[in-house]
Amino acid sequence: MKRYSQVSVEIGEFSNLPFWKKTDSMDLVYVGYGLVIVSLVVVSYILGAFNLLPHDPQEINIDLLMVSPGNSGYLLGTDFMGRDILSRLIVGIQAYFLPGLLAITIALVFGTFLGVLAGLCGERIDMVITYIANLVDSFPRLVLILLMVAAFKPDIYYIMIIVGITNVPVVAALVKSKINFLKQKNFIEAATALGLSNRVIILKHILWYNCRSVLIIQATLGMAEAILMETSLSYLGFGVQEPTPSWGNMVQAGANYFMQGKFWSSTAPALAILFTIMGFHLLGDGLNNIFERKRNK
Amino acid sequence: MKRLQGILLLIFFVTFGIMVSQSEAARKKDGRPDGGTVKYGEFGRPTTLDSITSNDMISLRITELIFNGLVGIDQKQEIVPELAKRWEISDNGRTYTFSLRKDVTWHPREGEKPVPFTADDVIFTYDIMMHPKTITSLKVRYEFIESATKVDDYTVRFTLKRPILNALARFSFKIIPKHGPSNSNYLTRKDPFVHNPIGTGPYMLKDITADREVILVANDNYFKGRPHIDKFIAKPFADQNIMTQALMFNAINMIVLVNPRNIPEIQGDKRFVLQPYNALSYSFFAYNMRSRLLADKRVRKAFTYAVNRQEMLNAFFNGQGTLVSGPFAPGSWAYNLDVQSVPYSTKKALNLLKEAGFVRGANGIMEKDGEKLSLILKVPIEKESEAVKRVVLAFRSYLKKIGVDIKVEFKEWLSWKEDVFLKHNFDIIFASWVFDDSADISSLFHSSEIGPWKNNFGAYSNPNVDTLIVESKLTLDHEKRRTINRKLHAIIAEENPYTFLWTLTNYAAYNKKLRHVAIHPYKFFTFADEWFMPKGGRR
Amino acid sequence: MKLSSIRPIALLLSRELIVTALLLLGVSFVVFIILYLSPGDPFSALLNGQMAADNASSAGMSVAWYAQYLSWLGNILRGDLGSSLRTGLPVLNEVIRVGINTLYLTIGSMSITLIIAVPIALFSARRGMNVYNWTFTMFAYVVSALPVFWLGYIVIYVFMHKFGLFPLAFGFSGTKLSWLYFLLPVFVLGVGNGTMSEVVRYLREEIGRVFSEEYIRTALAKGGSIWKHSFKEGFLIPITEIIASKIPFILGGAVVVEQVFNWPGMGRMAWQAAQDRDYPIIMGIAILSAIFVRLGSLLQRVVYIMVNPRASRE
Repeated sequence: MKRYSQVSVEIGEFSNLPFWKKTDSMDLVYVGYGLVIVSLVVVSYILGAFNLLPHDPQEINIDLLMVSPGNSGYLLGTDFMGRDILSRLIVGIQAYFLPGLLAITIALVFGTFLGVLAGLCGERIDMVITYIANLVDSFPRLVLILLMVAAFKPDIYYIMIIVGITNVPVVAALVKSKINFLKQKNFIEAATALGLSNRVIILKHILWYNCRSVLIIQATLGMAEAILMETSLSYLGFGVQEPTPSWGNMVQAGANYFMQGKFWSSTAPALAILFTIMGFHLLGDGLNNIFERKRNK
Repeated sequence: MKRLQGILLLIFFVTFGIMVSQSEAARKKDGRPDGGTVKYGEFGRPTTLDSITSNDMISLRITELIFNGLVGIDQKQEIVPELAKRWEISDNGRTYTFSLRKDVTWHPREGEKPVPFTADDVIFTYDIMMHPKTITSLKVRYEFIESATKVDDYTVRFTLKRPILNALARFSFKIIPKHGPSNSNYLTRKDPFVHNPIGTGPYMLKDITADREVILVANDNYFKGRPHIDKFIAKPFADQNIMTQALMFNAINMIVLVNPRNIPEIQGDKRFVLQPYNALSYSFFAYNMRSRLLADKRVRKAFTYAVNRQEMLNAFFNGQGTLVSGPFAPGSWAYNLDVQSVPYSTKKALNLLKEAGFVRGANGIMEKDGEKLSLILKVPIEKESEAVKRVVLAFRSYLKKIGVDIKVEFKEWLSWKEDVFLKHNFDIIFASWVFDDSADISSLFHSSEIGPWKNNFGAYSNPNVDTLIVESKLTLDHEKRRTINRKLHAIIAEENPYTFLWTLTNYAAYNKKLRHVAIHPYKFFTFADEWFMPKGGRR
Repeated sequence: MKLSSIRPIALLLSRELIVTALLLLGVSFVVFIILYLSPGDPFSALLNGQMAADNASSAGMSVAWYAQYLSWLGNILRGDLGSSLRTGLPVLNEVIRVGINTLYLTIGSMSITLIIAVPIALFSARRGMNVYNWTFTMFAYVVSALPVFWLGYIVIYVFMHKFGLFPLAFGFSGTKLSWLYFLLPVFVLGVGNGTMSEVVRYLREEIGRVFSEEYIRTALAKGGSIWKHSFKEGFLIPITEIIASKIPFILGGAVVVEQVFNWPGMGRMAWQAAQDRDYPIIMGIAILSAIFVRLGSLLQRVVYIMVNPRASRE
């Protein structure tokens, strides 16, 4: 981090340059924006958890269906059941929390494990793991999910397991390439020569010191993906089910009125998705660039 | 079992006054112009295109254009001759002898001469329909027939096991050609015929495009005279919002069933006609009597009191429908108009729950002997199911007010069906019955219909009701039957195995250029050969 | 190309073919396992003909899973994927028929993605960031984050209400603007498949990396064109790579876009099949889409080997 601040100071000297030329400070902007979004997500999670909401998100008001924003005390209007969109938006983030975490955990745990195996255990094992990764990559996610839905049942956790599994190859490849990089620099040989146990090398020196940034980035991207996937599935009818609000099923329900010119009830959750996912992506990319530059110095 | 908008349907058969007819159908000399294309939008694709193996509404509508029955139905709902030009019924009511038209030919296959329609085809259809290996939902409806025999090439005789009231109407089943299916014993969905059928009807299947449009063209040799419209095209849509937009922008010119949400949009547009047709159907919440909590009539009744049905009807369906009070098809002669629909009264609901021994527990949920009044409502998932979602969510919120906790569980169609009809693993369901036109509710409430894949899924059992149902079935006197059915209606309304909701008015929307549109409430295209488009106004 | 270099290329190619075949075998196995483990009994529905009959007659004798797999695999290799439970039509024909439509959509969308992403990547790699680049990059981020069906609704709405065009008249031959029907879903999927930002970033990095390589600098110093020299490694390879790796995403996005635009493709059929638990159909679609993906990778490997036979021998 120290070195990074030096970089930005150097760049600060060319402050007459327009800001998009200062790619490094752009990364900071990205990361800053991402962090704002992440904290907003956390804040709304807390608000929802403690029920600090303008309205009861489940309260149905048959007389006030599809009220436009700002009317009758509804800041963002109401949906097709007369429920407050703002409150549902805030509570809606909860729908992703545990399922998203599940997807991320699966991707990171299995991905790291396979990545380490592939990196350290020789060519044969590497070949097997590459084969498995290619196999998983052969299926379009949504098709695989539909197959699971047909074979088992439409359940957000099942779906997130698939999202997690399909992300395993990505994580494994990243970890593997890191390890190969370390191998090239004789890092691992040196560590073994120092008498460190394999466990310590792998857990502490490889994963903790060298892979954590990659893994954090993958985690943010995984969350973004979980949200988008749920949205698509909501459109298809297999996402989070009513009455539980999720951003995906809110966009879907509101989109039914889109063609009639009643935009708000799908726009609000769609923008929420947009800003959040952009936040996660930019955070991921920004962190990635910063770490990369740090390593290259 | 059929399906419509994710809701289950049940077909019963037309039961109407016997009418012996002798008139020959006239050639079309009505002076209306021929030509034009009707391109209508359907939400989804048909399963099969023949009348026997198909089991969905989309297919049913197409088969109505391709095939004919021995008898048909006219716009006054009366039975008229179709493939049979006249019939005789024996005095004991057990034999029906049909004399067939001699001027009917099957749609020709390409490069072939048209084959004439004969008695063999009728016998063939009956045999194939009743064959155990044939996959069809029709079989149970024709078990009342003992045998079918060919008297000569243009005469067939059906012998019934016992005389039944209004049997004639049931001979409207569609006749398929003997030379059609490749397997002459039974018909499954693997037979090429089911996707490429030929019939005797006003329209012939021309093609199914890569886009899955079903293209039907006018049958020049149709025995009632060539239909006016040249082409019917069924276009499948995967999104109902888009389907409505397709109508607005003339990509199609008819929608057979308009989503209630889109009615105001089409209503305001002068280019279109919004035509109501009353499907004999109603929606309901059904209770599972196997649940100890719901076995108590007072609890069920309390639920019905707690639900403001008129408010839902107004808010969600623009008031386009009527509340129903009992089990018979609304609008049918069996429906008892004297039974009032249960009014909305939270107070009465709470009193009934109190009477049944429930008290408010923690969280405001009613309890009895430590058992919470917490129930599972199972609903099938459909992509476009806003109306269903609304009703279900409103129901949940109404019941919350009287301290009942409802957990809504959405399941995809097939596992929902399994849960309801096979495993009986539910407390409450939301569904609809659609009747062809009937007074026969025996399969819904007779105790012998309790069991896997039977229609009395809620296990409702009342000896009194059983007796009345059997009596109603056996009687040959129309008036007597009516009296019995009125009694049944009253009892079932009181016992409340369902919370009867409403019958909705269905709307078809079509371009104004289409004229003389009469719609059959169930089969839809029955009178389509009479429709026309004036010259000049075609697209 | 010298004669001596041809043989290794043939060898490498045949190796790729074998890998592809092995992967497809794995694909069939994965599909089998999912269906085998499912609580319903889809398999008796899938194994038509003899196996099922044998199964039934040998009352109670359950057939081992590998025997089931092998007989099922045998059927598949003979092109017999069973028939749809819903319509009774043979799966192979059905799936191939819609698969072609999806292929059009996929290829078209891929081209759109590349047409938008490549210039952005090229110019930001060559000239560094400027305001246009930055705007386009941000645009790529925004569209990658939008729910694709909602984007579809916006596009349809705008076209109808602003331009008075209804872009969904597929099959309406004769209309002058019927080509719009093809263009819009292709555009929406190309823009909204969620990969745009990644494609831009990847290409920018790859191209940037190649630009800074020694031999390019040398070539530049000698007055050669940078585009000519960096074309193969800096352009062709990354692009084929990105195409191959993004095919599954586009196929996934197609499921949604096909619903919105009423495109008669695999995705729409897969949705219907999931709804009806029509196992044979969805299985066929999973296998066919995996074949598409694998063929894409195969193509990428072939290009890679042709361009750079020495590097690929490692």
